[in-house]
Amino acid sequence: MDHLTPSPFAARRPRAFLLLAALAFVSGCKGSDKKETPGPGEPNPSDTARVALLKATGACVEKTARQFQTASVALSEAVSRYATQPDAANQAQARAAFHEAMDVWQVAEVMQVGPAAPRSAAGGAEIRDNVYSWPLVSRCTVEEQVVSKSYEAESFATSLVSRRGLYALEYLLFHEDASTACQGTSPIVAQGTWAALSADERAARKRAYAAVVAKDVSQRAAQLVKAWAADQDNFVQTLETAGSGNRVFPTNQAALNSVSDAMFYFEREGKDLKLARPLGLRDCSTESCPEHLESQFAHRSKANLRANLKGFRMLAEGCGEGYSGTGFDDLLVASGAEPLVQKMRERLAGVEDALGRIEEADLKDALAADKASVRALHDAFKGVTDVLKTEMVTVLDLELPQSVEGDND
Amino acid sequence: MTEPVRASRLERLWSLLLAPRDIAALVAFRMALGLLITVSSIRFLAYGWVDVLFTRPRFHFTYWGFDWVPALPAPWMHAVFAALGVLGVCLTAGLFYRVTTVLLFVAFSYVQLVDVSNYLNHYYLVSLLLGLLIFVPAHRAFSLDAWRKPALRSETLPAWCTLLLRFQVTVVYVFAGLAKLTTDWLLHAQPLNIWLAARTSMPFVGPLLEERWVAYAAAWSGFLFDTTIAAFLLSRRLRPFAYVVVVGFHAATSVLFPIGMFPFIMVTAALVFFDSSWPRRIAARLRGGARAEHVEPPPAPAMHVPGWKAQAALGVALAYALLQVAMPLRTHLYGGNVLWHEQGMRFSWRVMAREKNGSVTFIVIQSATGREWHVSPGEYLTRLQEREMSVQPDLILQLARHIARDFDARGLGPVQVRADARVSLNGRAAQLLVDPDVDLAREVDGLGAKRWILPAPDSPPIRLRPTLRAQAH
Repeated sequence: MDHLTPSPFAARRPRAFLLLAALAFVSGCKGSDKKETPGPGEPNPSDTARVALLKATGACVEKTARQFQTASVALSEAVSRYATQPDAANQAQARAAFHEAMDVWQVAEVMQVGPAAPRSAAGGAEIRDNVYSWPLVSRCTVEEQVVSKSYEAESFATSLVSRRGLYALEYLLFHEDASTACQGTSPIVAQGTWAALSADERAARKRAYAAVVAKDVSQRAAQLVKAWAADQDNFVQTLETAGSGNRVFPTNQAALNSVSDAMFYFEREGKDLKLARPLGLRDCSTESCPEHLESQFAHRSKANLRANLKGFRMLAEGCGEGYSGTGFDDLLVASGAEPLVQKMRERLAGVEDALGRIEEADLKDALAADKASVRALHDAFKGVTDVLKTEMVTVLDLELPQSVEGDND
Repeated sequence: MTEPVRASRLERLWSLLLAPRDIAALVAFRMALGLLITVSSIRFLAYGWVDVLFTRPRFHFTYWGFDWVPALPAPWMHAVFAALGVLGVCLTAGLFYRVTTVLLFVAFSYVQLVDVSNYLNHYYLVSLLLGLLIFVPAHRAFSLDAWRKPALRSETLPAWCTLLLRFQVTVVYVFAGLAKLTTDWLLHAQPLNIWLAARTSMPFVGPLLEERWVAYAAAWSGFLFDTTIAAFLLSRRLRPFAYVVVVGFHAATSVLFPIGMFPFIMVTAALVFFDSSWPRRIAARLRGGARAEHVEPPPAPAMHVPGWKAQAALGVALAYALLQVAMPLRTHLYGGNVLWHEQGMRFSWRVMAREKNGSVTFIVIQSATGREWHVSPGEYLTRLQEREMSVQPDLILQLARHIARDFDARGLGPVQVRADARVSLNGRAAQLLVDPDVDLAREVDGLGAKRWILPAPDSPPIRLRPTLRAQAH
């Protein structure tokens, strides 16, 4: 052999030796010298599966963000038209545009990775809260803005998130009641300014406010796309190249943790807030609490959950048509956890099934007419989150956020 | 010619325990431990862990018998850690040694006692070492105390000081090794297989970590290392090599796993095995001298059995040693798999023995009406607390009882509290950890076996796939 030609095992031996020495191997491992290991720059198969998942996740989040941007621009245009020409047709178009945008956003809700996530998370820029701050919402705050017209101020874009975003828009587009949710301590009640508004004036202000909010939402959507786009801030690459030298994700495990943290939306917001509370299973003093349903004005709480499920499945199974493509299931298969993949798929199908069994258009009606079907949906959600929190986290060695040191005892 | 008087066994024991030894090694240990405590305290303050672990949680899990230990509010808990940092410096400098060691022991142990969910083996070890240092006068040389009070100075300490510390570190290593004497560890290489497979993006060694044989080799070497390293460290001839292995082993674990100060503490603790004059020899070499300063040991004390105080002290030391051996073994009184039921898990040096994740929902039933609530642990706990609680039955019990009290306080009681706790151990399919039909609000924690813990899974742990490349070959 030419002495300049490295032995096929040359690259392997120093690494193996170092590892063996570092771990204080007492026993030799000669029997394992048959296979080659990729060179330092060459990804290994398991790593390839992880990188592929991160790449697919990045692409999926970006695709969803672009879809939302398109929907939000259409929404902004429709609401602007409605604001200037307040007829029934424009109102219907604005509401339809809201539903279309919300359908996409609820998919994105489960994808709060990087720029959409809170600032405390890796790469977080809080864009999500600026688009949709639920459950941090306040109808009274929105009504106070209607009275004060502070939506006309230049600083509105930096005002509290509870005054902006899709929640405010839902209220402004769908709620026509003259009542206010504000208590007597609110100036608009104490000073009588809300009651003093005529129905026409209040409606006009709501339309104007809605137009401002819709425009702000579309700008946030553009921000989100910019953050992910390969030709701009390129968070897709940040996620995909997680590892040594990456300032946001020093390991690809950290990036995977970030994605799995986002998927926990399915439990916290999905199971616990959107279902358990209205069902009266928590934070509710009566048999059920429909006032805790997510969508109080557009009555799309069921649709939101269906979209959340879609978003979850896109990450878990694949972002393509019929959930094809690379998802966590592929990484689990690569790891040898096929039974877990099967279990997860069955349970996700169980959620689809439970959603399908709710015949009513929205959960508000279902809670009144067939509460058991909503409870079944809750239990189906729990079936998924149990697997997520136990076996999936274990097999992929995912960590909860804010982890500190331990010794695994 | 008269027969020499043969010393009795007891006299020989006392002779061994009281034989003067160079103080230098214990001084080095004192300094290193002080520095570690200071660094650790600074890390807690700088990374915000004081808030995350101590002041932010609204509920704290208590140790059995220690529920009277209060959690201090924000500024005071920060002050405790700041004090620990200062006291660590004092220990290093040997300033006000007795007061410092007592305060360090109390403060460090207090911090551990505030919340069980923060329990870590290595912090328990630091508490024990500090407790032992209270009785070891390691400030009689190279200290500000010795500088201030010349009468205190001594170049030697009795041998028992070193032996006690060696015993403690030996206990840690041996029981950490015996904890790995399980089929999961040795036959399935779990949980190492899970952990290593998740670290394949590591530079250089990453590609090897997904190989199954690496997990097996690491599991076996870890087991052999833990069970034998103390013996090698005790051997004068093998000690330098053994210490190199100690440093290499803990360096590797430090790089591979997020275990914070643990490797540093163990590398420091292992110093107690070295010859009592090793710091002098190193110092001499650093100064360029060929020979170390030589400490002339004073004449050995006459063989005799000392007074009752010394004998009482020996009795206490023996009791301590027995306790240290009994604590890790107590789990055998409960039977079953300690990694599953966790009875006897703490204080038993089962370091890195399991990967366990759980999902717990508490089901609260109003006794009078049958009304049902589902309570997520997140309503009461931080995510870190929730993670620990969800796999440890006694913590599940504590939270269940707290939830019952909370419902009572809100006028919703009396209630039954049941737990739907699903746990995955070393990648096995998740299964119920506690009996979901038991009203935990009526159960009382104690040292007895918890009948409401369901049996451990009998399936093998998950066997992660070897490399796709390996399959192709």
